[in-house]
Amino acid sequence: MARNEIYREVAPEEFRQECSKLFDGGRGRLRLMFASDNRETGEGFCIHAVFSHPGKNLFEILALKNLEEKKGVIVFPSITSVVPAAHWYERQIADMFGLLPEGHPDPAPLVLHGLYPPGVYPLRRDISHKEIRESLDLDKEDLSPFMEVKGEGICEIPVGPVHAGIIEPGHFRFSAVGETVYYLDARLFFTHKGIEKQFEGMDFDEGVKLAERISGVSSFAHSAAYCHAVERAADTSIPGRAGAIRTFLLELERLYNHLGDIGNMCAGTGFAIGYAKGASLKEGLMRLNEQLTGSRYLRGVNIPGGVLVDVLKNPAETLRMVDGITAQFKSFIAFLTGASSHMERLENAGVLARDIALSLGATGIAARASGLDDDIRRAHPHLYYGQLIFETHTRRKGDVFARMMLRADEAACSLAILKSILHKAKGKRLEGDIAAQPVKKIPESGQALGYVEGPRGSIFYYVRGGGDKNKKPLRVKPRAASFCNWPLMPFAVHGNIVPDFPLINKSFNLSYSGSDA
Amino acid sequence: MLGRILYNIIGRKQALPEDELNARADAGGILLETGPLAEKTGRVFRRSVRIRQVDAGSCNACEWECIALTNPVYDIQRFGMDFVASPRHADILLVTGPVSAAMANALKKTYNATPGPKLVIACGDCAKDGGIYKGSYAVTDGVGNIVPVDAFIPGCPPTPARIAAGIMKIVRASSKIK
Repeated sequence: MARNEIYREVAPEEFRQECSKLFDGGRGRLRLMFASDNRETGEGFCIHAVFSHPGKNLFEILALKNLEEKKGVIVFPSITSVVPAAHWYERQIADMFGLLPEGHPDPAPLVLHGLYPPGVYPLRRDISHKEIRESLDLDKEDLSPFMEVKGEGICEIPVGPVHAGIIEPGHFRFSAVGETVYYLDARLFFTHKGIEKQFEGMDFDEGVKLAERISGVSSFAHSAAYCHAVERAADTSIPGRAGAIRTFLLELERLYNHLGDIGNMCAGTGFAIGYAKGASLKEGLMRLNEQLTGSRYLRGVNIPGGVLVDVLKNPAETLRMVDGITAQFKSFIAFLTGASSHMERLENAGVLARDIALSLGATGIAARASGLDDDIRRAHPHLYYGQLIFETHTRRKGDVFARMMLRADEAACSLAILKSILHKAKGKRLEGDIAAQPVKKIPESGQALGYVEGPRGSIFYYVRGGGDKNKKPLRVKPRAASFCNWPLMPFAVHGNIVPDFPLINKSFNLSYSGSDA
Repeated sequence: MLGRILYNIIGRKQALPEDELNARADAGGILLETGPLAEKTGRVFRRSVRIRQVDAGSCNACEWECIALTNPVYDIQRFGMDFVASPRHADILLVTGPVSAAMANALKKTYNATPGPKLVIACGDCAKDGGIYKGSYAVTDGVGNIVPVDAFIPGCPPTPARIAAGIMKIVRASSKIK
């Protein structure tokens, strides 16, 4: 069990109160909430809620065990009324396990669309993939109602799931008054692939491959968080050089995402030259990725126990390339900030208020652009981050402009971290192996969280050992950053014009696949 | 076209020439189902193809590579191909992802909305047979199980060069047929 985690079992009647105490009116943060089917270990159905407090490198995990059955339904006390950030987690638990959050203000299905028959709970361990598949009706339309806005001049605009651009599937229902969006109802989870259940059938090496394929441009962050959880659950650590390499690649991933996102925002305003420049810059970084690791998406690098590719082998050469990118990056940002027609579109668009970000548990760029100082790299130092000095950038206004400039600030910070690690490698201060003994087994009682700050925000994994001869996990719960940030969209879009939606959407750059899993 | 104007403005001729694109693509493994292809296309796709990309539950890596095809480096518009916003304007459906259960119906509707003659390309390892997601309760193990597939571009994800070379190979195969 990892050192900065405290697991505490509470009684169902105290659960809400204890959670409320840890959430502390928004001062605490709900990092993750999930259920697990531990009937085979005698713990029955369990609920875990993971909280942390800013300034403390500690995760307090409240656990409910052996949930009771009431009138034929297994229930647990909903905490959404005191911890609003829990609302999606609880609906997800209800869909996947058939555990009912008692007192939830909106217990509608979230993950499973109408084609899944009622009474089929995919994550219960006594139902197989095949049995669930046979119960599906692929042609069935999802008829569950959208939120309806009534009044004079209200017009509904349905969009998706197949969109006009090259983006992921999701259905948006705008209720607009003229040009202005009054309410946005988003139906997601079209790309739900049953990944959580797949993890249970895979050994830990294979699990890394699956984690890499939860969200394309966060491949490395996901696999690093998964490996982190597996390593901590097995109570092993990785060599210092491996930690530095993971840190290096996490920052490289952040960099190519942020620069690509800044370029994509130009597509949102129709600023074609800015978009082309951003896309070229990103392509340069993708090629650097390929050159260093053999994969444009940094796949195939992580394993539980370390890394497989020594990307710090030629620090001098890499340093020259990073210097070249720094120069291009600076001229790109100077070019964009000088383009007033572009920048003026960004200001005051898609404002996300701080209190909404706080209560709904926003993470990453979305949180920091609205004034929340939340960065896993500094709050819970791991890998090589503890030895680095860098600041957490925040902006106050919460509009598209703030999110763009924040990305520019963070990209500059990532470039500095890359250089600092390369200089250390050049000075032979990061010598050693790149992998320890690979982790093949987790003891039955082993459980731990893994976490990283990915390009979109914090990514959490929970891994519990004790599956098939200890070679497979009993439960893996991934939580992508976008899962926390999607519920913010209706608030950020309200009051903006419909044509600004793509811009606002791009400024958050949320992953559908990551959130849908 | 847009790309051409753009890199004239930017002043950098960075687009890859076609032979270098093919060299980078390592075009091995691109499978063509030549039978139905011959019957379907004729001279339709000689100089211009319009592609509708459909994400049927992919991890989003393939989409980013498709988006990269329109950047100034690959600039596929110069080869007479482009991505379009509606299946009604498309000649080719470029489908990525293992087809999640929730997307199966949407994919079928998109296919039916595309006017014939049309081609379906399954792009990426999971689009072929489900890839790493194969066997999961929420996927249907490949595009071929939902709509008829004419060609397959391998890779996880295939690089932009490989996707471009794959589409060109298919266009060429169809224009040879008289």
